[in-house]
Amino acid sequence: MDTTPSPLRPFCVMRDRIPADMTARVAARFDVSGFDAVDDGSAAAWAEALLVERADRDRLREAFHRNPFLTVELGEGGDEPAALMEDWSGAPAVEPGFYLSLTTGTAYGLQCAVLVCDELTRRGALTAEHRPNVEMCLHEAIANAIVHGNLGISSAAKNQPDGYRVFGQMLRDRLGDPDIKRRRIDIFCRWNASTIAVAVVDQGSGFDSATTASATDGKARSGRGFVFMRALASRVAVTDGGRCTVLHFDV
Amino acid sequence: MEFQSRSTPDALEVRLAGRLEFTDHDRLRDIIDALEGAKPRRFVLDLSTLEFIDSAGLGMLLILQEEAEQRNVKMIVSGPQGDVKRSIDLAKIGEIVTIEP
Repeated sequence: MDTTPSPLRPFCVMRDRIPADMTARVAARFDVSGFDAVDDGSAAAWAEALLVERADRDRLREAFHRNPFLTVELGEGGDEPAALMEDWSGAPAVEPGFYLSLTTGTAYGLQCAVLVCDELTRRGALTAEHRPNVEMCLHEAIANAIVHGNLGISSAAKNQPDGYRVFGQMLRDRLGDPDIKRRRIDIFCRWNASTIAVAVVDQGSGFDSATTASATDGKARSGRGFVFMRALASRVAVTDGGRCTVLHFDV
Repeated sequence: MEFQSRSTPDALEVRLAGRLEFTDHDRLRDIIDALEGAKPRRFVLDLSTLEFIDSAGLGMLLILQEEAEQRNVKMIVSGPQGDVKRSIDLAKIGEIVTIEP
């Protein structure tokens, strides 16, 4: 894999309400000396990093079209720059690759896997032939990170009479909690000519990956996500106590 | 996911469209409420216009099957296409649920 650092590129801020100290710290993290504050369509056609105050599908597509390595939704509250810096420290600025960090509240219902696969396709990393497998696995990893990771809801909630109602109510309750909603989902993609690797990271309590089902288990209402990932990805690794799922696809 | 339901003299037909995934538990409740209200002999779940189903969505098919069985209603899944059919096959849902092309 080519790990040659890319030439320095402008560091853009999509909105001007992001605190100056935060932009300075992010610029330092990526060894970029300055940045351009933009909040309209006049930004450079490429950028090292983009901060988005509040993300939605259109805004993220717009951000991706500036070809950033890093796209981060800050979310509401604005009191978390220190935590953000900790997250980013795990993402070396190598190319080709990109890194997307969203709040759970945004990631839920955004169909992140579609968005990320669209971007992998746009950057020439993913072909139509491999897309169904990559999208399915990525969807399952992101769904796990959101529901079982950041929202902290066990599948066991479904295994009771009216379990789906209980489960739906738990989803609503957790998504209504501002602290839980702000937890981050980080998606880190890199690729070379033969492999695409995608890491999905959450801020939940983790889990014991040894307990995940390795085969489809009849009438079970849950547990198929890892079965799908293991069947469709070339390799699946779970690290960080269950908070990070890394999917590899030979292409 | 969006759905439309239609009652015939002996069946409730529910056609799903779009994506059936982990964010759709509330829609599942709506479908079960429709099943409860219609009290049909047969329950046909038409997936011909469904574009995507994830593992949570497959779990919902099994929940619907159980809900139908509890009411002595025969559930039939009909017309899964493309990626939806592939996921149903991969999870071997056809061993548990009656699936018609």
